[in-house]
Amino acid sequence: MTVLRVDLARGLALCSDKEGTKSSVETALIEPVSPGDALLVHAGTAIATLAADAR
Amino acid sequence: MRFVDEFRDAELGQVVAGEILAKVEPGRHYKFMEVCGGHTHSIYKYGIDDLLPANVELVHGPGCPVCVIPMGRVDDGIALAHHENVIFTCFGDMMRVPGSNGSLLDAKAAGADVRMVYSPLDALRIAKQHPDREVVFFAIGFETTAPSTALTLKRARAEHVANFSCMCSHVTIVPPLRALLESPDLRLDGFIGPGHVSTIVGARPFEFIPSDYGKPVVIAGFEPLDVLHAISMILDQLADGRSEVENQYTRVVPYEGNLRALEIMAEVFELRPHFEWRGLGFISHSGLKLSDAYADLDAEWRFDVPGVRVADPKACQCGEVLKGVIKPWECKVFGTACTPERPIGTCMVSSEGACAAYYNFGRFAREREVV
Repeated sequence: MTVLRVDLARGLALCSDKEGTKSSVETALIEPVSPGDALLVHAGTAIATLAADAR
Repeated sequence: MRFVDEFRDAELGQVVAGEILAKVEPGRHYKFMEVCGGHTHSIYKYGIDDLLPANVELVHGPGCPVCVIPMGRVDDGIALAHHENVIFTCFGDMMRVPGSNGSLLDAKAAGADVRMVYSPLDALRIAKQHPDREVVFFAIGFETTAPSTALTLKRARAEHVANFSCMCSHVTIVPPLRALLESPDLRLDGFIGPGHVSTIVGARPFEFIPSDYGKPVVIAGFEPLDVLHAISMILDQLADGRSEVENQYTRVVPYEGNLRALEIMAEVFELRPHFEWRGLGFISHSGLKLSDAYADLDAEWRFDVPGVRVADPKACQCGEVLKGVIKPWECKVFGTACTPERPIGTCMVSSEGACAAYYNFGRFAREREVV
């Protein structure tokens, strides 16, 4: 999912999936996040930031 | 989409399949276990099986969160859902898992307030919306999902949501793998390691597989090229006489895992002395419960839960499928009495279950050309 907006105070980010569906995602495990970051989200929690320099 | 489309390139897939074909020894039979149900799903969805030489066999492992929940645990959930004033929340596929007397979906039809959620955070939101009701979240899943539950419990504590609790059925991946490696039923040549569990736990917990059992492990992503690449890497290890843990999924899996997630899990959970797995029986230190510090949020403390133990239905061979001893289509009830619409066993319920994945995608093209 791609980060659209970050709510630092609540530890949440508004994210959009590839179909454009938006949802709030818990970001405590991977902070800091910024708009435009690609996140791996599992059960409403971002568990990794996808590395841009990957294979 | 970035990070997805480039790993679904069909032409590149054919190239890697060609490399795999060149690497296998014609007279040798290779048996690799894909540990994670997500891999099983990808293998059938994208027909990866059909790109492999006939002497490379993929065996489906125990890493499907819904599949490993024993029937008694479902019955416990249903008993809890029938408590007066309880809103029982769980993931969608868990609602369809049959207990000994129907599923959570049947309980809902009979009047229990059972609600599907996409995340534990959704369950917490329901608790905040209904302060006069008790909201229970049925937490299932491996280390990939457990941090999400842990964070939600911490949030419930911080926001003083007193009517929220959790029936914790989280499990860990290493103990069943060790049990499988000790099993005389199964001879494996290597493992496709679980990508998303490894995002949390890292590569280190799998090092016992090469060091104690001499088998290669390649942690892999879930797109078709990831799986093919991982198979190619395992074959390289075998050809070189190496056995080690390698990471194909470098774009999300750091060697040391997600330390923040591990820290939060250590705070919120502790290992149960033993936990029952469907088809695999009781495995020591393989399940998580809430730690003493979070015991007040433990639904099993807050409510009277019967702690039911029920034998799996005789017709169902999920245990053998989960251990990789038989293929889905070798089960007596596969596709006849047991279908995704009317499942008997858990492996037919979840999209990550080997039986459902095979039923939905693979059953039309089983016969492969022998190389």
